[in-house]
Amino acid sequence: VGFVGILARMFEGLGVTSEVTLYGLVYAVPFAMAGGVLQYRLEGPARFAVTAVIEFWRSSSAVILLFMFFYVLPYANINLSAMTVSALVLGLNIGAYGSQAVRGALQAVDRGQIESGLALGLARNRVLWLIELPQILRPIVPVFINLFIQLVKATALVSLVTLSDMTFRAKEINQLSYQPVAVYSALLLAYLLLCYPIAVLGRRIEHRLNLTPELRHGL
Amino acid sequence: MDFDVTLALSLVPGLLWAAATTLAIAIGSSAIAAVVGFLGEILRRSVPMLRRPINFAIDFLRCTPFLAQLYFFYFVLPFYGIKLPAIVIGVGALGLYFSSYLAEVFRAGIDSVPVSQVEAARALGLKRFRIVRFVLLPQVARHVAPAMGSYFISLLKATPYLAVIAIPEMLGQALDYASVTFRYYEPILVVGAMFLILSLGLGHIFRKLEYRLALPHATK
Repeated sequence: VGFVGILARMFEGLGVTSEVTLYGLVYAVPFAMAGGVLQYRLEGPARFAVTAVIEFWRSSSAVILLFMFFYVLPYANINLSAMTVSALVLGLNIGAYGSQAVRGALQAVDRGQIESGLALGLARNRVLWLIELPQILRPIVPVFINLFIQLVKATALVSLVTLSDMTFRAKEINQLSYQPVAVYSALLLAYLLLCYPIAVLGRRIEHRLNLTPELRHGL
Repeated sequence: MDFDVTLALSLVPGLLWAAATTLAIAIGSSAIAAVVGFLGEILRRSVPMLRRPINFAIDFLRCTPFLAQLYFFYFVLPFYGIKLPAIVIGVGALGLYFSSYLAEVFRAGIDSVPVSQVEAARALGLKRFRIVRFVLLPQVARHVAPAMGSYFISLLKATPYLAVIAIPEMLGQALDYASVTFRYYEPILVVGAMFLILSLGLGHIFRKLEYRLALPHATK
């Protein structure tokens, strides 16, 4: 099998890789937004509870979490497909990182703006929704793009829990053909083709944001 | 099936031993990552010819999954007759992967010191080594410490990847127990809890260190 043939067969796993990534986003983005906003707004025991959940997902190792949920949930009679477990674990892991970017960006919004909003008679949650959240979009976009790349890369782990993504295909092709050099070079190339354009896009956006600091701090 | 507390407790000593392996791997890889990352950054700064290749290598390492890189080294090196123990490949690959992140951290750190300070030091007659030691290093160290700390924790969290090349770190050890006793429940939950404690503890230590390193007026 030639290099191109290997690459083509590996890309058959692209479907699973993208499926895990997209389902992962379904967990990651809401978790990041809700987690960050709640950690920012809540106080006392409620805040502690939210922090504990975020820290669990953020401070554990994604590899161990994946094995843990894959092997342990069935004992609790919760039977989820490998796809669901993978998307859930990887999504919440990445989402927990994202929540810290959301919280950081919210904390960086000028205090005066919140006070102005309240002085205008807006309820605290209206201020959050109408004044603070629209402004954090700019600073968090580059961070989220980076995290998206981390998520794509993390999907390689699903090959360890029986899903036939690109990495799983690579192992399979290598077992059949025993051409490790071609197979694993193709695997690295496949991920590079997937992630490099996103990285370049992220860098451009970040660069543009840096060029206009006056916009970053609000007009 | 119920959680067997006795079994879980009986696994703890063996897993603590594996935790020592995990820590040793993390420390070794962190050292490699810091040295390679620093050299990479210095070389691309000072040797124009190397700038593009090093930039490409860094992008390459950052845009491909660590698991794929690990398989690559593990399967490709022996094919060329380079037979290294799995642990060497694992530690080396982990160090190399994180060196690409640390190089960017060092870049930002060095960029944070204004060029005018180096010019001023030179005007005062300081030698090159003294400029690096007394002007650049203290400021760069303060700037890079928080980011380095968080990458060292990320590195610790990536050590369980090495279970796939049969290195007996914590996850590898737990899966070994599981395959012998046919009970996945206890080993994996115990290892998950221990790992969480390890990672939170390390995070706590790094925050303390960062606090001590910060200038008095910079602490919140």
